[in-house]
Amino acid sequence: MAKIIEISGLSLGFQRDEQQHTVLENLHLGVERGEFLAIVGPSGVGKSTLLRVVVGLTQAFAGDVKVLADKTPNRRPIAMVFQEARLLPWRKVLRNIMLGLEGLDLDAATRRERAERALSLVGLAHCAERWPHELSGGQRQRIGLARALAVEPELLLMDEPFAALDAITRQGLQDELLRIWAETKKSILFVTHDIDEAAYLADRVILLGGSPAHVTREFSIRTPRPRARDGAALAAAVGEIRAGLSESYAYRVASSA
Amino acid sequence: MTKTKTLALGAVGLVSLLLLWEGFARSGAVQSTLIPAPSAVPAAWMSEWDLGFWQDMVAASFSHYAVGLLIGSFLGVCIGVAVALMPRVNASQAWIVRIVRPIPPLAWIPFAIIWFGVSETAAAFIISIGIFWINYFAALTAVQSVDKDLIEVARAFGHHSAIGRLFKVILPAASPGILGGLRTGLGQGWMTVIAAELFGIPGIGQRMIEASGLLATDVVVLYMLTIGALYGITDYIFMLAQNRLLAWQK
Ligand SMILES: Nc1ncnc2c1ncn2[C@@H]1O[C@H](COP(=O)(O)OP(=O)(O)O)[C@@H](O)[C@H]1O
Ligand SMILES: [Mg+2]
Repeated sequence: MAKIIEISGLSLGFQRDEQQHTVLENLHLGVERGEFLAIVGPSGVGKSTLLRVVVGLTQAFAGDVKVLADKTPNRRPIAMVFQEARLLPWRKVLRNIMLGLEGLDLDAATRRERAERALSLVGLAHCAERWPHELSGGQRQRIGLARALAVEPELLLMDEPFAALDAITRQGLQDELLRIWAETKKSILFVTHDIDEAAYLADRVILLGGSPAHVTREFSIRTPRPRARDGAALAAAVGEIRAGLSESYAYRVASSA
Repeated sequence: MTKTKTLALGAVGLVSLLLLWEGFARSGAVQSTLIPAPSAVPAAWMSEWDLGFWQDMVAASFSHYAVGLLIGSFLGVCIGVAVALMPRVNASQAWIVRIVRPIPPLAWIPFAIIWFGVSETAAAFIISIGIFWINYFAALTAVQSVDKDLIEVARAFGHHSAIGRLFKVILPAASPGILGGLRTGLGQGWMTVIAAELFGIPGIGQRMIEASGLLATDVVVLYMLTIGALYGITDYIFMLAQNRLLAWQK
């Protein structure tokens, strides 16, 4: 299978007091085309920082992020969904979805059409003319997803997109995401700290751990979809990941002591 | 409370104030020139109107006000936004502003007169100073407190240029603060317009000084109420526009 993104030898972190603080070091990671890849790690390990580098919001210290998506003037290769929906409160829903389309080579009618299509894809066509504050948390998150889908990216980055939602809404959105993924055949890089969520959604789960962090373990989840949330297959996968996580946590504590 | 009820209560309050005032003025407790009755005001208005003074004075004051308001607001907002966007300039302006800003607009009167003479320009200058500072600070703080996460969203969705960020995120996000500054300036302007004219620049303020010299206190009250009404009208119109522009807020 061909890769959509290839990360090699990546080191990154943040700058404070003129000093570089390394968060992730020597990270290697590839996402296959059409793959649903979940990244799991404790909070503060550097998951968001990683996505920020991939989408171009910060610079890596060293290493290479190769995006192998096709460059076309009317699409963006990568789009991001944030944990808090981060809608622009002064724009109605449809105009929010158009944000990423505004710099593309599209006429106004096409922009509108693409935004409407993305909105239908997340099942909120009736909310086009609402203000963001008139939506529930789950709806806002779906608009954030629609905004990313509208630019027709090949790779979708999702940073704990359902973490702030209640369990029932979260389950609904997970299933919806799987439906959209199956329909649009995108590659998804999905960050979460919820092992159950990772195991339910992903083809492959990668654990980040250590300090500075790197990929500590990797699991393939071959259970066919639709997956039973409380089925034995998933429970086994979750157990395996959990064991891997405590291992790498022990490693993290040992290496930082 | 319903809209009509709110309106009705407002009217009741206003009428009661007028009645109390009228009663007190007529009770003979004080001389009528010291506290003129509100019922004397319409007559004063008619005579000022017939002489053409009222129209001229209102037009003159309004033009000082409008010019000062436009210049002060425009410069205040533009410079405030620009400084907020430039961290170095922002750091270097802090102490200049701390010292220059507390100078009340009226303290500029001597210079206004030296530079511009006793003229319309001098009045507009004085008015614009107070309005400038209000808008400067409102715009500065509004832009500084724009949610960085939203700026990041714009960048993540391809708006990398400074202009793109300014128009897509910064200005709309800062608009409640900026509009709030404009509205405060609108009121502040009417307060300084009168003071600026007390020094002989033709307008409502000058006419009030003249009238008080003649103990025509009913005329003074007429112009006081005129100012109040002008402020009320401009503020109301601005509020309607503001509500429309900020319909997106909760
Ligand atoms: N700009 C910054 N200033 C200070 N610390 C930062 C900055 N960016 C990231 N960090 C730190 O880097 C680490 C990784 O952050 P993050 O990527 O947000 O973690 P995660 O998303 O896995 O919870 C955290 O310890 C965080 O405090
Ligand atoms: Mg995070």
